[in-house]
Amino acid sequence: MAFNYDSYLRMEKMPTLWCWGCGDGVILKAFIRAVDKLGISKDEMCIVSGIGCSGRFSSYVDFNTIHSTHGRTVAYATGVKLANPDKHVVCVAGDGDAWAIGGNHTIHGCRRNIDMTLIVIQNFIYGLTNSQTSPTTPQGMWTVTQKIGNIDPTFDGCEIAISCGASFVARENVTAPKKLEKVFVEAFKHKGFAYVEAMSNCHINLGRKNKMVSAMNNLDWIDSITTPKKKYEALSEEEQLNLLPTGILKQDTDVDEYCDLYKMIQDAHQGKRGKITQDDFKKKI
Amino acid sequence: MAAMAAPENTPVWVNTDRCKACDICVDACPAGVLSMQAAPGSTLGAMITIIAPDSCIGCNECELLCPDFAIYVSERKEFKFAKLTDSSKARQEAIANNGYRIPVDYKEAN
Repeated sequence: MAFNYDSYLRMEKMPTLWCWGCGDGVILKAFIRAVDKLGISKDEMCIVSGIGCSGRFSSYVDFNTIHSTHGRTVAYATGVKLANPDKHVVCVAGDGDAWAIGGNHTIHGCRRNIDMTLIVIQNFIYGLTNSQTSPTTPQGMWTVTQKIGNIDPTFDGCEIAISCGASFVARENVTAPKKLEKVFVEAFKHKGFAYVEAMSNCHINLGRKNKMVSAMNNLDWIDSITTPKKKYEALSEEEQLNLLPTGILKQDTDVDEYCDLYKMIQDAHQGKRGKITQDDFKKKI
Repeated sequence: MAAMAAPENTPVWVNTDRCKACDICVDACPAGVLSMQAAPGSTLGAMITIIAPDSCIGCNECELLCPDFAIYVSERKEFKFAKLTDSSKARQEAIANNGYRIPVDYKEAN
């Protein structure tokens, strides 16, 4: 007996269109295992994806799915969630999708702390459109738009999500699929905005001119720049400089969730309660 | 759990319609169970093959890391897996050093 992924897949779309060795497939598998572990039915789950290689995510799984516009995953998902507060809503975006064109939507999704999971597939580049610089491309790397070497400083998506108010923030990489599955399980269980950054490989477009031509080279490089959170915290500041911590970086259950707040407005309009005041909120300013 | 039945007495099996020959599973296998073989019809000119099923230790790494839903491993309670031996480690090293294909002389010698 083996785990049957096929029962969650749209079989007519198989095999996937992703390149050989693409980490997106590993993330999709971990995602399916996490859904199966929690026993969430296909009808209870809604997946919203944007544009990019990560956008294909919603095409392959047999849940309720929206393949939305570039960067607007969180905006679409907010609408879905407010209309169906009892459903699980998961957004899938790439690093360019979530932090470049959709940066503003992501920031405000985090701020509202609406109950959904945002999976950011972080592959350090715009993969689908042939390697343009993304906000997470490391400095000094070759890209199509900066052929001499990228000079743009990078974003740390998790740090931004934490400071914007997401109540669950985690980072994991595709070389640890079991850990990734655990992070997804925790993220789906969490009530509030869950930001999960899944570090993935793009040896085809990131690696081809950056000396990582095979998936294994690229995955080794990702391993070399990440370290578990506990180990990371024990390091000196100098050693931390070129490393990213993995694991659950923030988990805060004591914050207002947006669907509950929205229910207050509905109740107030229906005369079930009085006006909303500052006393209704956990955080006053 | 969504489960699929395993073929009888098989520790690990593959779906060659989905495999894209990315080499990740061959790299991840500690026991030299998997290898690529030449396949002129495939996009990358290679296809996954199981060369030593008896050496499989059931670690599941290949299944977890396969991005294309192409590889499956039996559960421990259903199949008695082998232990990791020096000869299987040596085979793995030979495969990895030969571009993830089984060396011709190695095949002849064993």
